[in-house]
Amino acid sequence: MKFVGVLFILSELTAVITGPPGNPTHQFDGFKGSISQATSLLGLVTAPRWIVFFVYGILVSLIVYLLRTKKEVVSKALELQRSASSNKNLRRIFFSAVVILVVLLPTLVKDAFWQNAMVSQIAVFVLLALGLNVVTGFAGLLDLGFVAFYAVGAYATAWCTGALPLPALFGLHLNTFYAIPIAIALAMISGIILGIPTLRLRGDYLAIVTLGFGEIITVFANNLNGVTGGAMGTAQVPHFAIHLGPLNYDWGIPPVPYYYLTIVFVGIFMIAFSLLEHSRVGRAWTAIREDEVAAESVGINPLKYKVLAFAIGAASAGFAGVMTAAQTNYVTPATFTLGLSINVLVLVIFGGMGSIIGVVFGAVAIQTVTMYLIHNPPAGYQPQDLYMYIGALLVIMMIFRPAGMIPSRRRSRTHASSVSGQE
Amino acid sequence: MENLFDVSGVSLRFGGVVSLSNVSMFQKRGEILAVIGPNGAGKTSLFNSLTGVYQPQEGTILFNPKEKPQLSIIGKKPFVVSDSGVARTFQASRMFNALTTFENVKIGAESHKGIGVLGAMFRGPATRRDEHTSDEHTWSLLEFVGLKERANIIASALSYGERRRLEIARGLATNPEVLLLDEPAAGTNPSEKNELADLIRRVRDEMGVSILLIEHDMKLVMSLAERLYVLNFGSVIAEGTPDEIRSNQNVIDAYLGTASEEETDNA
Repeated sequence: MKFVGVLFILSELTAVITGPPGNPTHQFDGFKGSISQATSLLGLVTAPRWIVFFVYGILVSLIVYLLRTKKEVVSKALELQRSASSNKNLRRIFFSAVVILVVLLPTLVKDAFWQNAMVSQIAVFVLLALGLNVVTGFAGLLDLGFVAFYAVGAYATAWCTGALPLPALFGLHLNTFYAIPIAIALAMISGIILGIPTLRLRGDYLAIVTLGFGEIITVFANNLNGVTGGAMGTAQVPHFAIHLGPLNYDWGIPPVPYYYLTIVFVGIFMIAFSLLEHSRVGRAWTAIREDEVAAESVGINPLKYKVLAFAIGAASAGFAGVMTAAQTNYVTPATFTLGLSINVLVLVIFGGMGSIIGVVFGAVAIQTVTMYLIHNPPAGYQPQDLYMYIGALLVIMMIFRPAGMIPSRRRSRTHASSVSGQE
Repeated sequence: MENLFDVSGVSLRFGGVVSLSNVSMFQKRGEILAVIGPNGAGKTSLFNSLTGVYQPQEGTILFNPKEKPQLSIIGKKPFVVSDSGVARTFQASRMFNALTTFENVKIGAESHKGIGVLGAMFRGPATRRDEHTSDEHTWSLLEFVGLKERANIIASALSYGERRRLEIARGLATNPEVLLLDEPAAGTNPSEKNELADLIRRVRDEMGVSILLIEHDMKLVMSLAERLYVLNFGSVIAEGTPDEIRSNQNVIDAYLGTASEEETDNA
């Protein structure tokens, strides 16, 4: 009986939280609406919200109950998954299917909103998550100012192509393609500049300092009117274009060509980072993350490797900046907020820190959900509710898969050992 | 034989707390030397000073590596000290728990080579040759300490005795001239202790690595060490062979307490 009571209260709370907003003149309208408004129950019947949510609550607890009591079913399913993932052929087939799907995606998704979102909100965030994964996942450094490197990439692109008030290098207005190496190099250099003084700090202190750095970059972008164009930024970044003898191609406005260009780079970064992870450098990063004192005692210079992680992570964020600048033509400080840094961190945590496949999956999944909620908002959904849902998703993930949706093998080992109480 | 370590007049303070006061000692190349003393006597502080973790305020610590100029350790970072040939283990074993036994040792074997990001990404022939030599070095060390069968097990799944041996292998992988062992026998059973003593002797005899040892197990220390230093309250109170130490009145007093000390306390 107590259980039903708790269930009832939780369900009604959910109903109220997700219900329509109130308004200042009739303070209780939102509350009444979220209780009595009629909604459809799984599309079968229509009933007031308080009944619908209670039924949902019962259904969810039933599923949880079944999963708990039928443990052997769950463990069998898990075993099946494990044997499938250890089977090389199956894995190859699965990966080729994913690659084909990714390549064919623009022909399957015709909707203009989604085609645009695939580039500017999903692929770009995959790049950002890949970069932050090197810093936070591999080297274990909590960076809350990752957006700074993204901003450096975007502004560097605008600068090389002559879109900023600041005169471009030697007065040359470079093709946006040439901006790619320059932007990546500048992002890496800013990673090194930020890293050398700050990476002597550990844990929380580092997080605070990087947070500050991210804010400093935004403040600079906002206020250096003569350099960055101030709060208005610039809207003159040219699109990508190739003019090489017979080869003549302009990327223009449609998002699909950008999609292909970005996924090529996503592929390159994924391969490069996974080679790094399984090399001497990746092992050194893991060693520093696990025990810095012991790592130093076997001759690893922690500062050197941490700065390296910052620089390499910044590279993919810098490239993400180039893509954003070139596709939208816009570079404004409003893009590069603290919220974005945290958003990227959420993608990494959700997907599985330290796991390349995991963070790509996390970025695609969460960004798709976000875009879906923006594009087809369900009844009663308010834009400001977004992070409530993402937060709930994270909490559920933390309970059932604490190391991430697709955890890295190395990370999950540490996790397993800390749960079992061993050192 | 020349001296490997030359420590003179070392004092280490944390604020007002004196951890080491005017400690002088030396170690000859090829020697198994032990440092003993009651809890809190400054043994681990001495180790941390010898490896660059702590920076003593006074005194000098000189390390004489073969074919290299003499090195003053004070002021050097731990990874620089490790580079020049000092390896160590820790009191509470500190391994890289997310990595396998093999990877733990390999980190030691490859840490003294350059970073080589591009090499790591593109796997050129030079990188592959490097990896190959590190792999072989790692396998031979795992065989040496008897962990070959446990190579692909996660380090955190090893038993205490195995962890100690893993730490020794990881230290040896850096090609040291001296290996500092901080209570290697803690948490091991009697048969593991005997194996450990054999292993330590083999490290010295077969690999030519000198040993500096902190240990509480008197039986083990007295059977292993060729010479001992006894620390109490941060100062060296005795030095000598195991037999000399056993009969030294200062040492007996330090371990058992003295009647006169109690009297002065009461007064």
